[in-house]
Amino acid sequence: MKASTRKLILPGTIVALIIATVILAPVLPLQDTRGMDIPHRFAGPSAAHWLGQDEFGRDVLSRLIWGGRASLFIAVGSAVLAAIAGTALGLLGGYFRGAVELFTVRAAEIILCLPPLLLALLVVTILGAGTWPLILALTILYTPNYARVVYAATQQVRGLDFVTAQRAMGTHPLKILVRTILPNVLPPLLVQMSLVVASAMVIESGLSFLGLGVVPPTPSWGLMIRAARGAMEVAPLLLVWPSLALAGTILTFNLLCDRLQSALDPRAVTAGGALWLRPRSREAKKPVTPVAAPAEAPLLEISDMSIAVHDMELVRRVSLTVRPGETVALVGESGSGKTLTGLAMTGLLPDTLRVTGGSAVYTTRDGTAVDLAKLDEEGIRKLRGDEISMVFQDAAASLNPVLRIGDQLGEAIQAHHQISGEALQKRILDLLRHVGIPDPERRHRAYPHELSGGQRQRAMIALAVANNPRLLIADEPTTALDPTIQAQILQLFAQLKKDTPGMGMIFVTHDLAVVAEIADRVTVMYAGEVVEEGPVAEVFARPRHPYTAALISSVPESGAERLTAIPGTVPSPRNMPTGCRFAPRCGFATAECESRSPKAEHPAADRVTRCFRWENVT
Amino acid sequence: MTDANAPLVEARTLGRNFPTRHGLLGRAQDVWAVRDVSLTVAKGETVGIVGESGCGKSTLGRMMMGLDSPTKGSMSFDGRDLSSLSSAEMRKLSRRMQMVFQDPFGSLDPRRTIGAQIADGLRTHNIVPGSEVKAEVARLLEQVGLPTSAAERRPHEFSGGQRQRIAVARALSTRPDFIVADEPVSALDVSIQAQVVNLLMDLRRDLDLAMLFISHDLHVVRHLCNRIVVMYLGRIVEEGPAEKVFGTPSHPYTRALLAATPSLHPRDPSEGDKVLKGELPSPANPPSGCPFRTRCPLAEEACAKGVPPLSPVGDGWRAACIKAAPVAEGVPA
Repeated sequence: MKASTRKLILPGTIVALIIATVILAPVLPLQDTRGMDIPHRFAGPSAAHWLGQDEFGRDVLSRLIWGGRASLFIAVGSAVLAAIAGTALGLLGGYFRGAVELFTVRAAEIILCLPPLLLALLVVTILGAGTWPLILALTILYTPNYARVVYAATQQVRGLDFVTAQRAMGTHPLKILVRTILPNVLPPLLVQMSLVVASAMVIESGLSFLGLGVVPPTPSWGLMIRAARGAMEVAPLLLVWPSLALAGTILTFNLLCDRLQSALDPRAVTAGGALWLRPRSREAKKPVTPVAAPAEAPLLEISDMSIAVHDMELVRRVSLTVRPGETVALVGESGSGKTLTGLAMTGLLPDTLRVTGGSAVYTTRDGTAVDLAKLDEEGIRKLRGDEISMVFQDAAASLNPVLRIGDQLGEAIQAHHQISGEALQKRILDLLRHVGIPDPERRHRAYPHELSGGQRQRAMIALAVANNPRLLIADEPTTALDPTIQAQILQLFAQLKKDTPGMGMIFVTHDLAVVAEIADRVTVMYAGEVVEEGPVAEVFARPRHPYTAALISSVPESGAERLTAIPGTVPSPRNMPTGCRFAPRCGFATAECESRSPKAEHPAADRVTRCFRWENVT
Repeated sequence: MTDANAPLVEARTLGRNFPTRHGLLGRAQDVWAVRDVSLTVAKGETVGIVGESGCGKSTLGRMMMGLDSPTKGSMSFDGRDLSSLSSAEMRKLSRRMQMVFQDPFGSLDPRRTIGAQIADGLRTHNIVPGSEVKAEVARLLEQVGLPTSAAERRPHEFSGGQRQRIAVARALSTRPDFIVADEPVSALDVSIQAQVVNLLMDLRRDLDLAMLFISHDLHVVRHLCNRIVVMYLGRIVEEGPAEKVFGTPSHPYTRALLAATPSLHPRDPSEGDKVLKGELPSPANPPSGCPFRTRCPLAEEACAKGVPPLSPVGDGWRAACIKAAPVAEGVPA
C-alpha cells in the first residue's frame, strides 16, 4: 500500500464511523429524541443518559446522533449538489470560453454579489423552513464557488499538451472534459469540497439557530446549540456536546479531503515536511582554521567528494581540479550529479542533501586553503559572490522580479564592498556595459521582465562577476537560449575569460558541442561518478571510456545514416548496479564489469578513465 | 489519393494574427506570428522547420494540424480544405494527422495509465474491434521499443525518453498519414535523443509517413529531414533540399544560424565575429522591408524597400533575399 493511501485510513475510518452512526440511528438502541422528562431537566451524565439530559429532560446523546443526521445530510448533500452543478458550469465555461463562459461562470458569479446569509434567508422565506429548502438554498449559495475554482483549474489544464493531444486525436470535446480534464481539476475541487462542507454545517447551524432551518422538535446541531445557549449558566455541558460534534466533524472532513487529494495524485509526493522536523542537514560545522596553501596550488581541488540524501548516495567520490584561468566542463546527462557537484561548491545544496565525504580545497585570494565541504554557513557566505559565484540556467527565475537590475547589482556589490553613491553607480554601469547590455544608462532601471531572454542572462552574468570572483560556476547557462543568442553568450564567456586571466570556471552542461567551444578540460559524469577526465581536444579525439565514446557518436553531427543510441536509461540512485554503473548499457561490458567497480586508470599523464577495458574503447 | 506526387498537406499563404490590446480602451495591435507561409508536405517526406523561438514555427505546426485556424490563407489535407469542414468532419479527419509534443512530462495525462491513453485513439476512431484493443496497444508499445507491461503503468514511472516513445505510440495509434513533431527531442538527453531520432526515422521508412519536424537543433533536423524550411519572424526565409540549405546556404540568416550552432569540431576562433548581433525584433513592430535587415551583415538601403519574395535559387530551392546566393559555408562535417 502506498504511504498516501495508508494515510487515508485514519480520517476515512472516523468519517465512516460518523456516517454509519447517523445512518443507523433508527436501529440503534437510542432513547426517544422527543421523550421529555421534566423532573430530570439539566441532569448531568448518568448510566441511562451518557451525555446527560437537556432543558426538557430529553436524552442528549440520541439528540446528538439524530441531530447529526439532519446536519450532515444538509451539509454534505448541499456540498455534493453544489459540487456537481458548479463543476459542470466551471468545466464548460473554462473549456469553451467565449459565450459559454458568459452564461455559465459569469452568470453564477452574480450570486456571489449577494450576502450569503441574506440569500439563504430569502430562499427559506419563500419556500418555508425545512430540510429541502435549506439544501436548495445552500446549493445555490455554493455553486459559484465551485464554478470559479473549477473554471480557473480548467483554464490551466486545457492549455497543457496532453489535452491538445486529445483534441488532435479527434476526441469529442465533452469526452475530453469528463475523461481528461475532470480528473486533473479534482485536487482543487476536493479542497473546495472540504471547505464547503464545513461552511455549510456552520450556516445550517446558524439558520436553525435563527429558527429558519430544521423545524423543532426535530433535533439538529444548530438547534441544540441554540437551546443550550439559553441555559449556559445552568448546564454548560449542553453547549459543549453539539459544538464538539460540529468542530470534530468539520476537522475530520477537512483531513479526509486533504489526504484524498494526495492519494489521488499518482505522482508520489515526496513531502519534505516542516523544516524543523527534518534531520539536521549538517552536523554542527566548526569554523575551519585556514591553512596557508602551497604556492602553485590549484584554485579548487575536489577529491573523493560524495553527496547523499539520507542514505542514498547521489554523487560518489568525485574528484575535480580547477587551475587559475582554466575552464573545466562538467558534462553528463540529467541525474548524473553534475549540478549537485556545482551547487556543493557554493554551499547551496538543497536542505535534505549533504556532503558525506571527501574534501573540496579552495585557495582564497590571500593564499589560504579552505575546505568548502567542511566550511560553516558563515564562512561560505563570505566566499559566495565574492570569490566563488554562480550563473544559473534560468535567469528569469533567478533574478528578483520586483527589483530593478541596477539595484540587484548594487546589492551584490555592497554585500562584499563598502561602496555607495556615485562610485557604486559607476561600477554598476561599467558592469552592464562589460556584459554587453546596450544602453546601460537606461537599462539599469529596467525590471527583469522588461529584458529579453539573452539580456536577462547577461544581467545574471553581470551579477555573478560583480565582485570579480576567482571561481565562476555556470550551470547550463545557455541551455534555454536560442542558437544565435547562445552563440552571443558563449562569446561573452570567452571574453570574460580573456579579461580576467586568473579566473577559473566550471561550466556545467549536457551539450558536448558547447564543451568543445568553451572548455579547456572536460570531466564526464555518469550516474553520480566521474567516468572520464582530460583535455577537451584529446578526450573528443580519442575517448577512453565507452560512455564518452557513445555520447560523442550520438551527436547527430557525424553524417552517419543511423545515430548511435545508448540503449536503456540512467539507473536510479535507489538501485545502482553493483559493479561499474555503466555496465548494463555498455557494449564492452564483461562479467568483471558487473561484479567490481573499476578504479581510476591513467591512459596519459593528464587523463583519467574509470573503465577496465579502456584500452579497447578506441 | 489519385496522384502520387500531389502533396498530402498543403498550406497556402497562411497567416495567423494574435491581436493584443493595451489597456481597456487601447487600440488592438496586430501581432502576426505567421505571415504568408506556403508549404507542402508529400507522403513519405520529412520537412524540417528551423528557427528561433518566436519565429512562428509552433503556430505554423498547430495550424497545419488544424488545431488553430489561420487568420489568412487556407490549409488543405488530402485535397480537402480544413476550413470548410464541420467540427465532426474535422474530428474524423484528425485520425489521419497526429502530433508529438516537446515536453515529455506535459504531453501525457498524469492520472491515467499508458494503455488507456494509447487506447483512446483506437476507440475514438474504431481502429480495431473492442476485443482487440489490448493486443493493439501491446503491438504499438512494441513498435516503439517498450515492454507490453508498460500499458498498466502511469506516466510518472517512465523517464523522459520513454515518455516520448509513449507519445509517439499514442500518435501512431490512429494510423496517421501525417505527423507534426514539435521539438520532440529538445527536452531529452543526448543519448536518449538519438534513440528517439532513430525511432522516428524507422517509422517514417516503415509507415511511409509525411512528417513536419519542428526544431531549433540544426544537427537533428539535418539528420532527419529531406527538406528544410528556415523561418524568421513569421516568414519563410529559405526553403530547399536539406543538403543544399545546410551545405551551401543562400540566405544570410541561415548562414548565421549555422555559424551559431556549437559543434564538436569548433571552427577557427577568428570566425567569432560571425556571431549575429542583436536580437529578434518584436513581431508587434517588425522592421520595414526585409524582416532580417536589422541584424543582417549584408543589409543595405534596398532591403528596407519591401519584403523580398521567395525566389528560386535552384531546383526546389528558394530564398527570400535580394542577395541570395549559395555560399559554401558548410556545416562542419
